Amino acid sequence: MARWGMVFDLRRCIGCNACAVACKQENTLPSGVFFTRTLSEETGEFPYPSRRYIPTLCNQCREPPCERVCPTGATYARADGIVLVDSEKCIGCGSCMVACPYDQRTRIEAEVLKNGLFGAGQLTPFETQGYQRFRAGTVAKCTFCHERVDAGLDPACVTTCPTDARVFGDLDDPDSRVSRLIRERRGRQPLPEKNTDPCVFYLD
Amino acid sequence: MSVHSHTADDDFRAGTRQQTAWGSVMATAFALGEAGAGLFFVALLVDLLPGMVLGLAMVLLGKGGSHLLHLGQPLRGWRALTRINRSWVSRGLLALVVFGACGSLQVLQAWYGPLPQPVAWLGAMLALGASLVIMVYQGFAMAHSAAIPLWSSGVMPVISLVYALLGGVLLTLALATSAAEPAIPPATAVLLRVAAHGLLLLCLVAVLAMLHAAWYGSAGGRDAVRLLLRTDYACWFLPLVVGAGILVPAGLLGFHPDRHGAVLAATVAALIGFYAFRVLVFKAGTYDSALSSPQPLLR
Repeated sequence: MARWGMVFDLRRCIGCNACAVACKQENTLPSGVFFTRTLSEETGEFPYPSRRYIPTLCNQCREPPCERVCPTGATYARADGIVLVDSEKCIGCGSCMVACPYDQRTRIEAEVLKNGLFGAGQLTPFETQGYQRFRAGTVAKCTFCHERVDAGLDPACVTTCPTDARVFGDLDDPDSRVSRLIRERRGRQPLPEKNTDPCVFYLD
Repeated sequence: MSVHSHTADDDFRAGTRQQTAWGSVMATAFALGEAGAGLFFVALLVDLLPGMVLGLAMVLLGKGGSHLLHLGQPLRGWRALTRINRSWVSRGLLALVVFGACGSLQVLQAWYGPLPQPVAWLGAMLALGASLVIMVYQGFAMAHSAAIPLWSSGVMPVISLVYALLGGVLLTLALATSAAEPAIPPATAVLLRVAAHGLLLLCLVAVLAMLHAAWYGSAGGRDAVRLLLRTDYACWFLPLVVGAGILVPAGLLGFHPDRHGAVLAATVAALIGFYAFRVLVFKAGTYDSALSSPQPLLR
């Protein structure tokens, strides 16, 4: 069984946020909801200031704190490591949201589903079909596009990235591209001190 | 220079980030639950029926109602009972159910006559145990979350317990001394006043310990402490949590221990401080930045 993971090459990311747009399109995300974001950060001081971009999404942790604190078992991890939320079981208590060190969970409020992307209360056909996957008052998050992955495709953000800054693959396969990149360029996990063992790695 | 020393001002900038999942409604649930459970606990020990009734109402109606308001799917709330082996929220809900049943039994027994001795004893023990769990489980639920450095501290359950007992002791004193004929013996009242002073001191130490742990924990913790003591919430935290919540009750109880008005004012001030503490600690809860150890590309 594969262990899916992702690598972000911080040298390649240009902060275009095409990944965020692709994700919103793939998952029909309501207004204000993002499963992935590319954050910008200024570093250094004059005369050597710089800016870097930090892509973020759910890290599909091997020790997911969101799963540990969930009082209903709505959050669960598949055998391949992808952490999902069963919206039929979720009660929207927000425990997982305050347990996720990466702030990668969102509660889908009824108003955003009702108002639609244009805020007028009239849903486009795109929204009408897409919002069926959400339940108001429950928590949603990045799923590594598990339907696409199950069909042998890469997540939408990876496919869209114009600079190849996102690489997706099997962490358990030592010959996979993600494993080689992590090994050769000393990939590091976000916030390792939180003991969540994320399946997402950053290359400086 | 740390580049993570500020709270991110929009969703696409790196930096620490304030949590918004738990807000004022949850703060109300936490405060009413802890103060109500504390009141029931103390009132049961000193056999003060109005205190038991009020404590029960605060927990079941106040805390329970606030939780239902907060939930995105309140009709499915019962599902939270299904993961008692792992989740503190589940354990808290179980304690709430036990507390409701056994606490009600205690109140009904006081009104309609005593139950058989073993049943009454078992009910009282279960009610006391459940109220104790309600007093502390929220602190454990917060401490269990490593995501928010301000909360992720072993002192959190202690704060919950101390504030709950303080609320319980002060409310019991206020209720017991409200009538012309005190409802508890004078020696018990003296004991409760001494306990209140001790608990106020413990509150101060526990709050300072929480701030200390957060400040020396991580960038997110430091930003949370800055929010509470220097920037956005400083105008509320110091006057309400420390001033009204701790110093004013200590002064009133110290200078006018036998006056009902002073006890009542001390109780109200302490509860305002406690509620402000809950709201502000939720608001100031801050996530660490996405990457904890920045490595600038240009040097």
